[in-house]
Amino acid sequence: MTTQTEKNPEIAVSPSKPLISGVWMRRITALAPVWTLLALALFFSLTSQTFLRPVNLNNILSQISTLAIFATGMTFVLLTGEIDLSIAAVAALTGMISAYLFANLKVQEPIPLLVALGTGTLMGFLSGIASTRFRIPTFMATLAMSLIAGGLTTYLSKGRTISQLPEVAVFLGSGRIGGANGFRVLVIVAAVSLLIGYLVLKYTRFGRYVYMTGASKPAARLAGVNTNIILTAVLTISGFFAGLAGVVSTGRLGSALPDAIPSFLIDTIGAVVLGGTSLSGGRGGMVQTLIGLLIYGTLRNGLDNIPSIDPLLKDVITGIVLFVALVINVLLAGRAPRDKTA
Amino acid sequence: MNATPILQLRTISKRFGNIQALDHVDFDLREGETHALVGENGAGKSTLMRILSGVYTEYDGEFLLDGKPVHLHSPHDALGLGIGMIHQELSVMPELSVAENLFLGRQLTTRWGTIDWKKMYNTAEQELARLGFEHLDVRQPLGKYALGTQQVVEVLRTIVSGARVIIMDEPTSALSPAEVERLIQLIDKLREDKRSIIYISHFLEEVVRVADRITVLRDGQKVATLDAAETNTSHLISLILGREVNATLPPAVTSADGHILLEVNNLTSDVFDDVSFKVNKGEVLGIYGAIGAGHFDLARALFGMYRFDSGDITVDGHRFKPKHSARYAIQHGLAYAIESRRKSLLMDEAIYRNVTLPHLNRIGSLAPRQSQELKLAAPAIQMVNVQPPDPLNPVGALSGGNQQKVAIARWLTFPPKVLVMSEPTRGMDVGAKSEVLSILRKFRNDGYGVLVVSSEPETILTVSDRVIVMSHGRVVAHMENKDLNKDVLMRLL
Repeated sequence: MTTQTEKNPEIAVSPSKPLISGVWMRRITALAPVWTLLALALFFSLTSQTFLRPVNLNNILSQISTLAIFATGMTFVLLTGEIDLSIAAVAALTGMISAYLFANLKVQEPIPLLVALGTGTLMGFLSGIASTRFRIPTFMATLAMSLIAGGLTTYLSKGRTISQLPEVAVFLGSGRIGGANGFRVLVIVAAVSLLIGYLVLKYTRFGRYVYMTGASKPAARLAGVNTNIILTAVLTISGFFAGLAGVVSTGRLGSALPDAIPSFLIDTIGAVVLGGTSLSGGRGGMVQTLIGLLIYGTLRNGLDNIPSIDPLLKDVITGIVLFVALVINVLLAGRAPRDKTA
Repeated sequence: MNATPILQLRTISKRFGNIQALDHVDFDLREGETHALVGENGAGKSTLMRILSGVYTEYDGEFLLDGKPVHLHSPHDALGLGIGMIHQELSVMPELSVAENLFLGRQLTTRWGTIDWKKMYNTAEQELARLGFEHLDVRQPLGKYALGTQQVVEVLRTIVSGARVIIMDEPTSALSPAEVERLIQLIDKLREDKRSIIYISHFLEEVVRVADRITVLRDGQKVATLDAAETNTSHLISLILGREVNATLPPAVTSADGHILLEVNNLTSDVFDDVSFKVNKGEVLGIYGAIGAGHFDLARALFGMYRFDSGDITVDGHRFKPKHSARYAIQHGLAYAIESRRKSLLMDEAIYRNVTLPHLNRIGSLAPRQSQELKLAAPAIQMVNVQPPDPLNPVGALSGGNQQKVAIARWLTFPPKVLVMSEPTRGMDVGAKSEVLSILRKFRNDGYGVLVVSSEPETILTVSDRVIVMSHGRVVAHMENKDLNKDVLMRLL
C-alpha cells in the first residue's frame, strides 16, 4: 500500500524549528519581571536617599498589601484567560456592608465580616454563573456586576461615609502585632492570601485544572475537565478576595467610603500582568504576582522618594512602565512556540 | 467552442526540498470550458492550483494568459488578471446581506464616498437574474440561506469581480445532493456566459458529469487529458491509481455480531443524516468520507461538541446523552482525540501532565505529586514509545507523530470502552503512521472498541475491521475491510 500523503509538499518541507532557542526564550521571559524589579530597586536606591531605609521598605509592603489580596483572586481569573472587572466595586460594597451592619444595625462581630465575605463570594459566583451558563463574556458579566455592586453601595450608604467600623476590620486593616511599632496585620493577611493561592495553584488538582483551562479550553474539556466549573470557581475566589480586601481597606482608611476606588482594579490587573501572568491564560502564578506587586510598589513608592519628580506625573510614569511591560508580554507570548504541527 | 486556450501552462515543474511536486506538467483551459483536475492526495493538484492562483511564485515552466507569458506575484495579481479562486472553506460573511457579499471589499460608492446601496442592490439583482438566481433576495443576510446557496454566492462574487477563470477546490464536499445539483446548474450557466472553470474534486461521477475535459495527475506528472464524454469513473480510477482496478462492490454488512460497546441510531443534524452504526468489543470501525462528508462532525456530536437534532446513542447498553464537557463521556467509557492535535493536547505542558490530566481525580489525593503522576504516566508513555522519551518535555516540542502517541497514551492508563479518533495519522511520515495505527490495533486486541474517522483511505484500510463510507452526510456503504480496497473507496465517494 502506498502512502500518498508523504508526497504532500506542505508536510514534507516544513522544517522543525530548533527547540533550544524556544526553551531559552521562555527562561528569559520568565525572569524578565525579576530583572525589572532589580533594575527599579537599583535605580531608586541610587537616586533617592530615603528609598532603602527600613521604614520605607516597610511602607512599600503595607502599600501593596491591599493590592496583594485583590491580586490573589485576580491571578486565578487571569490564569484561566478570563477577567474580573468587578473587584473594586465589590470591595467597596463589602466594606460598606460590614460598616453598615456594625454601625447602623448594631450587629455583633464577627457577623459583619462574615456577611461581607459572603457577599463578595456570592457576587463572584453570580458572575461565574452568568458567564458559563448564559455564555456572557466575563468582561461583560463582571462589568455588569461592577455596576450592581456600585449601585448597592450607594443605596446602602446613601452617599455617606461611615467611620464607625467593626474592630475586626480595624485590626485587619491597621492593627499591629507587638506594640505600636510592631508588624502590620495587613501585611500578614496579604502574605497569607498569597501563600494560600500559591499552594492551591501549585499543589492541588483544582490548581492544575485552572492552568489547563487557561492554556486551552477545548483541550481541557476533551480531557474531561469541566471548564465551566473551573471558570465559576475562579470568579468566586476572586469575589471572596475582593470582599476581604474591601473590609481590610476600610480598616486601613478608617472609614467605609460610599464610592469604589477605581485605581484598585487597574492597579491589580497591572501588578498581576507585570509579574508575568499572561492575559490569555495558562501561564503565570502567585510567585509572579508577588514579583509584580513588588515592582508596582517599588515604582510607586520610589517615585514618591525622588523629590525632583512632579507627583502629578506619577501616574503617567506608572502607566508608561505598565504599557511597556504589556507590550513585552504580548510580544514574547506571540513568539513562544506552542504547536509545531499547525 | 473557441479553440485558442485562454490559459496555458507549459512544462511546469516545482520542487519542495527533495520532493518533485510537479514534473513537467502541461495544462490548458479554453474559453467557456470546465476543465476538471483529478488525482490522489499529493498528486500535485494543490500545487498546480497554487501556482495558478498566484500563491506559489517560483516554479519552472511557462504560464501563458491569452497567449502571452505572465508571472503572478500574489493571489491579488491573479484576481487582477481575472483568475478567481473558490476555496473549500467558505469565505462569506453570513451576517452581511447577499448584495454586500457579492461586492465584498469592492462596495459601490457614491461620489461622496458613502456606500451606494441602491446601485449595489440593483446591480446585484441584475447579475443574479442574468445567471438564473433571481429568487435570492439581495437584501437578506446571506446566513439565512443554506450552505449551498452561500457557496453559489461566493462563486458569483468572483464573477461580479470580473473573473474569467474560476478555480473551484472541492466545491461540493459539504453540500447536500440537492445543493450539488444547483451548483452544477450554475456551472452550466457560467459556461454559457463564457467563463472558464477549473474544477477540482474527489467525486468522480460528478466530475464526469460537470467537466468538458479532465486532466489526471499522478505523483506530480500529468497522466492524461481526456474528453469527459469519452470516459467513465472506473477508467478515471485506473488512471488515477496507475493500475488495473478492481472496484467490484463487496457485499454489504447489515449488522455486526458481538458485544456492542457503542451503538448510534439514526443520528441526524444539519450536516449528517440518519447515521447508524455499531462498534463491537475488540473491533476497529472506520468511518471514511471526503472532507466535508459530515463524518468529523458526527464524531464531535458524540462528545457534545456538535449539536444533533435527533437519534440516540448507547454506550455498553446504557443510554448516552452527550454533554458540554467530555467528562460525562469519559465517565461513561467514551474518549476522544480530535483531528486537531492543538485542541486535544496542551502543547506548553509536559508530556506526563497531558497523560495524567483526565485521571487526576483517580489519584485520590487533592494534591497530585509529580512522582505519583510520573508513576501513573510512565508505563503508557513507554507503551506508545514516545521519542524522545523524557516525560518532562513539553508536548509542543514533539513531532506530530509523537504528539499523537501522547494523545493515545493518555487513554491507555485507564482505558475507555471505546476510543474515538479523528484523523489519527494526519500529517505524519510513514513510520509514525504505522506506529500510531499499530498502537490502535493493539488497543483493539486488548478488548476495547475503536472508532477511527478519517478522510485518508490508507489509514482506514490499514486499521479498520469494518468500514462505513459517508458521502454528503449519509452512510452510503457498510462493508468488511477484508473485502475492501482503495478502488472501492474511491468509487463510493
